Amino acid sequence: MIIQAIVNGLLFGAVYATIGIGFSLVWGVMNIINVAHGSFIMVGAYLSYTLYAVAGVDPFLSIPVVMAVLFGIAYVIQKYALNRVVRGSVFITLTFTFGLQILIANICLLIWSADYRSVKLPYSSAGFQIGGVVIPLVRLGIFAVALILTGLFYLFMRRTKTGIAINATALNFEGAKTVGIDVYNIYAVTFGVSAALAGAAGCLISPIMSVNPFVGGPLVGKAFVIAILGGLGSTMGALVGGMVLGLVETVGTVFIPSSYQELLGFSVLVLVLVFRPQGLLGKRFYE
Amino acid sequence: MSEVILSGRQVSKTFGALKAVWNVDFEVKRGEILGIIGPNGAGKTTLLSMINGTLSLTRGTITFKDQVISGLQPFRIAEQGISRTFQIVKPFPGMTLLENVSIGALFGKDKIRDAREAREKTRAILSTVNLSGQEDVAVENLNISERKRLELARALAMDPELLLLDEVMAGLNTTEINWIMDLIRKLNEKEGRTILVIEHVMKAIMGISHRIMVLHHGQKIAEGPPEQISNDENVISAYLGERYAKRRGASGQG
Amino acid sequence: MKTKAIVLGILAALCIAAPFLLTGFWVRLITFTFMFAVLASALNIIAGFTGYAAFGNMVFFGLGAYTTAVLMTRLGFSFPPALACSAAVAVAVAIILGMLLLRLKGHYFALGTLGAAEAVKYIVENMTRITGGGQGITVPPLRGNPAVINTFFYFMMFGLLIIIIIVVWRLSKNRLGYAFKAIRANEEAAGVMGIDTTRYKITAWALSALFTGITGSVYAYWFTYIDAPTVFDVMWVVKMFVILLIGGAGTIWGPVIGAFILETISELVWSRFINLHLGILGLIIILVVLFMPRGIISLVSQGKGIKDLIPIRRKTRGDDR
Repeated sequence: MIIQAIVNGLLFGAVYATIGIGFSLVWGVMNIINVAHGSFIMVGAYLSYTLYAVAGVDPFLSIPVVMAVLFGIAYVIQKYALNRVVRGSVFITLTFTFGLQILIANICLLIWSADYRSVKLPYSSAGFQIGGVVIPLVRLGIFAVALILTGLFYLFMRRTKTGIAINATALNFEGAKTVGIDVYNIYAVTFGVSAALAGAAGCLISPIMSVNPFVGGPLVGKAFVIAILGGLGSTMGALVGGMVLGLVETVGTVFIPSSYQELLGFSVLVLVLVFRPQGLLGKRFYE
Repeated sequence: MSEVILSGRQVSKTFGALKAVWNVDFEVKRGEILGIIGPNGAGKTTLLSMINGTLSLTRGTITFKDQVISGLQPFRIAEQGISRTFQIVKPFPGMTLLENVSIGALFGKDKIRDAREAREKTRAILSTVNLSGQEDVAVENLNISERKRLELARALAMDPELLLLDEVMAGLNTTEINWIMDLIRKLNEKEGRTILVIEHVMKAIMGISHRIMVLHHGQKIAEGPPEQISNDENVISAYLGERYAKRRGASGQG
Repeated sequence: MKTKAIVLGILAALCIAAPFLLTGFWVRLITFTFMFAVLASALNIIAGFTGYAAFGNMVFFGLGAYTTAVLMTRLGFSFPPALACSAAVAVAVAIILGMLLLRLKGHYFALGTLGAAEAVKYIVENMTRITGGGQGITVPPLRGNPAVINTFFYFMMFGLLIIIIIVVWRLSKNRLGYAFKAIRANEEAAGVMGIDTTRYKITAWALSALFTGITGSVYAYWFTYIDAPTVFDVMWVVKMFVILLIGGAGTIWGPVIGAFILETISELVWSRFINLHLGILGLIIILVVLFMPRGIISLVSQGKGIKDLIPIRRKTRGDDR
């Protein structure tokens, strides 16, 4: 029972990692808490659902398309709107992304209605067993793809010119400008990458979770917990944070009645914030 | 002028492996002006920050009027009667000059309760630093000389027994420097305040200090009256290099 | 100054006469607006003046509502003592949470308070024996003629609004307010100048919680039915922030003006485009943040016109984190 819970937690933890990385990226680079991150995930899930319902495209295959679409949308939002307030106070940026989130939720409501949507894959019950532990193929696939995405992101940030520019901008805004980096464009790219990852995560969860226009809130709540647990500015941290959250949730159901689970989550969050705000792996942040 | 008002024993501050200040013992007598000099990076501002509580000590103790103040929060130390100016002036944005300085009167040593009374006291201080006409100016619009005087006014509004001045003359021209020197003397002689001054303008600090303490690489290398310091071989060596110091000594110049 | 006094006097007179001249619908609408003005003003104290964006402030609203509801239904309290208890609970919780959370800055504080608020909401929801859990509580209503009841609550909210405006007005001039403003302007420098920042931050939050909790209490008595998802809903705080944005944070009248503008727009939209309600609110938020982040009051006081609304990118002044 517990082993199954642990396995489930780890498998899903990888998706959490993907969610956390994008959110943590925007926070770490631009000091913006993107409340709309959850709605990006939601849009990704909706697009995946639509591609499947209309054209039969498997969610795993629609990932590149969805990532591209979300990158585009987010890039435009950052370039023409968010960039104006990105150096502002918490108050302003947080409220802005909140407004964005409810706007997106309403748009999704209009397009897809309030009904729950999910992707029912023909092979959803396929899987295999190892010593009494069931591992569905779908979850294994999700796990694998999420890990690949995390790895690709890591390489992107370390090995590509753009990734290095993003790091430079995050560490020293003025310095980056001095060496010729178009920082506002970098911000737009960062936001785009973050949304792309969110969109991919949306595709990944569409076969196992049903989505409605209001899942954005809870999703970004999870992203926030993952980012805090893992510490900002650390890909490994987001991975660890995602796994921890996945484990806490699944193993938690075994021991604690479900009504207290969320409370556990929030209590952990508050405790981490108060006693170790740099998370498990992060550095003491910008304050 | 013989009672010791501030003393430090083995005062040290390290940042990881860096010894910013190391094993400094010092004493400041009530009513004197103690100048602190030393090349850049000597640890002067770090020492000041430990006295007013902005930085914690890694080792050692600082005592003010027989009470240990090292380890106290900055606001408690301010209440005891110590105030300071910052090298890089940090006024409160979005507030006027008068409001900025009033904060010192309201929350400094005297903790004036009535906002109106604080404003009146503030006006008196503004006239001391020659900023009387500018009460309602937003602090963002002040020039460098006015900002330096604002810093001084804020520290004075707290009615300190011990005033810590951190490079209050940096960026000023000769006339302004002379004016501040006179002001410091007045604060010391007429109002009886004990003053610690960090300065790079040698002529000024040698001119107003009763005693000078020299820091180099975080340690005290000399202490004494200004004339003695300006001839001290260690001091000259620290600023100008060993060879120059030896040359001066050898040719008998003093 | 005299013109201002006359204008205020006329407005006050209109407000006092209103419930006797307008229909129930309008009276309730204006009462609701007063309520938002109070809530936003309360948030203004901790966020606008002191600079701590408490995104979890609705926790005090919820606690105030539940305290009153529970005391009136389970223990048979009448409204006045229930109100007093609600106020006490809100202040107590603010002090406790403040000691834990006010050491955090910026985003961490904002979201820490949100997390704490969610935690409290879950606790309240799960104390089923006391709070009725998911079913909520029905408060014994005030009995009487509907018009009289409307008028009663109208004046309760109006009274609260007057009181909080006076408090905020005093804060803009007195020593306590100076401490708050200094903390917001530069917390480190404030400490060096003798301000016990921890104590003052907690005071600001407790004051904010006091008014928020009392409002929650009145809300429970007015609406007679409350449940956790409604009274602890984060949308309350979002609206409070939007009101502060529209009207101008850190000002006395900003929250009032903002509340009236937002409620007017809400009413217009709600009655015609119900399923666009959220979207339009979102759009308003985005537009206000982009074009008038300092609110209407700052535009007026600086004599700006419409064309000054286009912001220049890369302002250097906005760099407070």
